[in-house]
Amino acid sequence: MSRPDYTEDEPGKKVIMLGNEALARGILEAGVIVGAGYPGTPSSEILSTLAIMKDFYPYLKLEWSINEKVGFETAYGASMCDVRAVACMKHVGVNVASDAFMTACYAGARGGMILISADDPNLYSSQNEQDNRYFGLHALVPVFEPSTPQEAKDMLKYAFDFSEQFQSLVLFRTTTRLNHGRGDVTLGNITQIDRDYSFDWDRSRWVCLPSHSRVLRMRLLERLELISDSADEFPFNSLKLSDEKINGTKYGFVTAGIPYGHLIDALNYFGILENVSILKLGLVYPPPKKLIKKLYDSVDEILTIEELEPFIENILKQIAYEEGLSKEISIHGKDFFPQNGEFSAELYLEIISDFIGLEYKRNPVPEKMLIIPPRLPILCPGCSHRATFYAIKQVEKKKKTKFVNSSDIGCYTLAVYKPLEGLDTEVCMGGSIGLANGITKVQPKENPVLAILGDSTFFHSGIPALINAVYNQNDMLVVILDNRSTSMTGFQENAGTGIMIDKTPGTRVILEDLVKGCGVKQENIWIQDSNELDELITKLEEAVDRKGVRVLISRHTCSLIEVNQMRAQEIIPPKILVDQEKCIGCLICVNRFGCPAINFDEDLKKASIDQNVCRGCKVCIEVCPQQAIIEEL
Amino acid sequence: MEIKKFNLLNVGVGGQGVIRAVQILSHAALLNGYKVRTAETHGMAQRGGSVASYFRFGSEVEGPLIPRGLTDVIMAFEASEAVRNFNYAGPNTFFFINEELIVPPMIHQLGMEYPTIEEIQTFLKTVSQNIYFVNANELANQAGNLRTMNVVMLGVLSGSGQLPLNKETLLSAMIELVPKKAQEVNKVAFNLGIEKGKSIGGK
Repeated sequence: MSRPDYTEDEPGKKVIMLGNEALARGILEAGVIVGAGYPGTPSSEILSTLAIMKDFYPYLKLEWSINEKVGFETAYGASMCDVRAVACMKHVGVNVASDAFMTACYAGARGGMILISADDPNLYSSQNEQDNRYFGLHALVPVFEPSTPQEAKDMLKYAFDFSEQFQSLVLFRTTTRLNHGRGDVTLGNITQIDRDYSFDWDRSRWVCLPSHSRVLRMRLLERLELISDSADEFPFNSLKLSDEKINGTKYGFVTAGIPYGHLIDALNYFGILENVSILKLGLVYPPPKKLIKKLYDSVDEILTIEELEPFIENILKQIAYEEGLSKEISIHGKDFFPQNGEFSAELYLEIISDFIGLEYKRNPVPEKMLIIPPRLPILCPGCSHRATFYAIKQVEKKKKTKFVNSSDIGCYTLAVYKPLEGLDTEVCMGGSIGLANGITKVQPKENPVLAILGDSTFFHSGIPALINAVYNQNDMLVVILDNRSTSMTGFQENAGTGIMIDKTPGTRVILEDLVKGCGVKQENIWIQDSNELDELITKLEEAVDRKGVRVLISRHTCSLIEVNQMRAQEIIPPKILVDQEKCIGCLICVNRFGCPAINFDEDLKKASIDQNVCRGCKVCIEVCPQQAIIEEL
Repeated sequence: MEIKKFNLLNVGVGGQGVIRAVQILSHAALLNGYKVRTAETHGMAQRGGSVASYFRFGSEVEGPLIPRGLTDVIMAFEASEAVRNFNYAGPNTFFFINEELIVPPMIHQLGMEYPTIEEIQTFLKTVSQNIYFVNANELANQAGNLRTMNVVMLGVLSGSGQLPLNKETLLSAMIELVPKKAQEVNKVAFNLGIEKGKSIGGK
């Protein structure tokens, strides 16, 4: 692969970009210098693309921050110095950043400052599907939402000018299908901003204590009013009016983001694109009141199309009420479209045909169905998390009890499925230890409480919860699954690897030192290679028996990284086989361990190992009670 | 020839190279001067789960998703995934299916049966008559690397005549998007796919 197209300084050239690449390109074209954030699907590729761009534009200053709050603050600190800055995160990351965000919006932006929130309707890779447009309403800052990769790039570039013009932060909201969809994009100019960057010693602005913030809030409200007054001229809002009637009624549609493209497709399908009015919002908050009024004056019925909450719909209804039009105009939305999940392309066809009264035949369902077993995501072959969860199960069995396994966000959350069924809670980043603080206060002692989380998750927000446990003497065993990577989101580096976002060396934070620094006693800290199963079980047993706050670091490099390292060094992984004579078909390796490389022949009643899938981790050798799994030497 | 709309759904199992295949198709469509839209599975679901990428191009394409029933081609890298997504097809849809079956490890606990290729074929014939199976794994191995299976399938698609994009452009898009040291093996894989595609598609 040669130099990626999206790094090229060739304005006018048309290239294919992933939505997140287009966002990164918009950031580059806007003359941004500082970018920070924390990886999270569907946002991760924005910063990692910028990191690739840094090879060609070395003035970029980027980082994977320890969590979204620090990422936001890093960007905002740069904005205070008059530098254009961006913070990138997934929707739930904004919850973490919100403490800083809510007050930063009072003080406003100096250098253009954008918070990108990548929302995830249908929860493709998330614990909820919250609608972050409400964060704009909540913080009194504008919300931008693009519909295509091209528009994402252009609108984001514009957002930095806008942010400086109004000294306002901008919440830039995307959804999964924008972030993870490709489109043709025409490259624009890469702006380089020529100004002296320096901190601005304006304490009345940056020191948000009550006497200052009362004034800042007044300014925030004034800014919002100015933005609201200019919303009708916002270049990415558009109103297309039609005088045509369909069956005697004039129809209008209001939408933004990904639904816009599907609306156009659906109207084209029915051949009525020219017969209806469409208001497309790029600025979803504050609303363009004059454009909305114009739409009200020209149509009889309006259908609002937006995934998740009735955000635009409620604004439209409010404006209709304020204009005294609530009787004249009928505004629909969530009475037609669902309030959960993603809208499939045919849902537009079904609902629009229903709304207008058009003919639409649903795709017929065959009489006789063929049932396909579900194929859920699973831990990879050779994944060290599988070994750890298997070991925990073995200790539970030995102790003849059930642990409360409070767990967290990461690849290892997949251990909830059969056969491991190794975790009992997952709410939010760092929540494993946080929840364990409460569970352990009340749970009978015969059910030891474990908090199980990954290395990056521990750095992100496990640390305060661990200090809390130490301070308040909340008994628990914390198991840190240290696979030296933020794997689920695409193998980003973190404090534990000590490698920075641009692959240059930073300073490595030693996990065991950190744990000790949190107040955990040296004798209550264990470190064990996850794939040495027998030793891991022994240490886990010892740790479970001990009182107080204990930490076991189960350490082994992510198998996907390991396999790539081996490939690069042309190392052939060990070949693992099942001795067909010794295998008694007990199914322990399949039904309890569950590595996808192990197959079972129902006729022969024997296990076997798929050499195309096996990574040679050797853990199954220790799992087999018959010593039937062997390494071919 | 002006194309208003072409809809392709590429399905498979995480790790089979679906994202790369759609990236290559997108690049080829751009080189042919078309507007392009895709929607892909990234992140958590990639860990061995079912993946589906939508690929659309043409002058009248706006949204990234394809309405069920209106797909021109379903390209399945794993046979049962074609069944899982059958409802995207209508009677005119072409299916190009890699014969491989990847049995999910959980099937033993669930006590479920996995369908055979014959069952899959019989079922899909009730949806469309244009069902074509290919042993793309074997062809990829023949080319020299199992991981070129996705490029074999792109060759099959192109050779069958069901992809309204120029074969040479698709090849050069592929060359641009695979790692340098894998270019030769992928070229071989692509050509093996083309030959296979010609033999089944007739054109």
